[in-house]
Amino acid sequence: MFLDILFLGSALLTVVSAILVLTTRNIMHSCIFLLGSLIGIAGLYATLGADFVAVTQVMVYVGGIVILMLFAVMLTGGKDFVSKAQSLLGLMPTMGNAWSYGVGGLVAVVFLLTNVQLLSRLGAMAQKKNDGSFESTVNKIGHLLVKDHVLAFELSSVLLLGALVGAAIIARPRKQ
Amino acid sequence: MITLASYLVISMILFLVGIMVMLSRKNIVAILLGIELILNAAALNFVAYSKFVTNNLDGHIFSLFIIVIAAAEAAVGLAIVIRFFQLKETIHIDEATQLRN
Repeated sequence: MFLDILFLGSALLTVVSAILVLTTRNIMHSCIFLLGSLIGIAGLYATLGADFVAVTQVMVYVGGIVILMLFAVMLTGGKDFVSKAQSLLGLMPTMGNAWSYGVGGLVAVVFLLTNVQLLSRLGAMAQKKNDGSFESTVNKIGHLLVKDHVLAFELSSVLLLGALVGAAIIARPRKQ
Repeated sequence: MITLASYLVISMILFLVGIMVMLSRKNIVAILLGIELILNAAALNFVAYSKFVTNNLDGHIFSLFIIVIAAAEAAVGLAIVIRFFQLKETIHIDEATQLRN
């Protein structure tokens, strides 16, 4: 019962916030709605029993990436702060007209039907039910990270170091 | 009743909204927001399949690496955006037509 309520609340928060990211014109408001969507996804992780992933999601995304995005928006605000692109049905800023979006929607429907056809047999694999009995995954994830996935773990540390140095070099002030 | 399909539907909606954000915005930071939504949709799929289909935690590991890579991508991408703004005084995507100068 509690699981159902948590799932419904998180799903609603995720989907509504994601759609608001799409439809709002102010880029700052988009960032704030992305925050709501990411918190909703952390709640969905919690309903799946993925406690470590949920906490990492909140710490890295909500505490790090969205703050970085807000800093970038505020540092580069200026005249692109509010989108002045043409709108589709007055709902959202767009780059095309109704014709191009119609073709895009047709392609999306074909793509979706093909994928449903291809992936429908995967549904038979999902025999397990979410019975609400959870156990902590932190211990197992720690063992997996230093045993089975140690190469990816070390590579990700090198990637983070490279991203850190690269970001500092790219954004450094230059003499004109 | 919470099944695998409910998570897949949420993930699909997130993915489609991310694609729409990437296609419809001309602000570079907004395009990065769309990329974050798409990465989250993929990570949610991994954890959902790890819960309902397989019996191990490999999906959780994949999601953690997706989060790590998204953090690195956001750091480098926003550094590029700020540098681009210093050069061009705008972050309109149509102004990004040169690789140097």
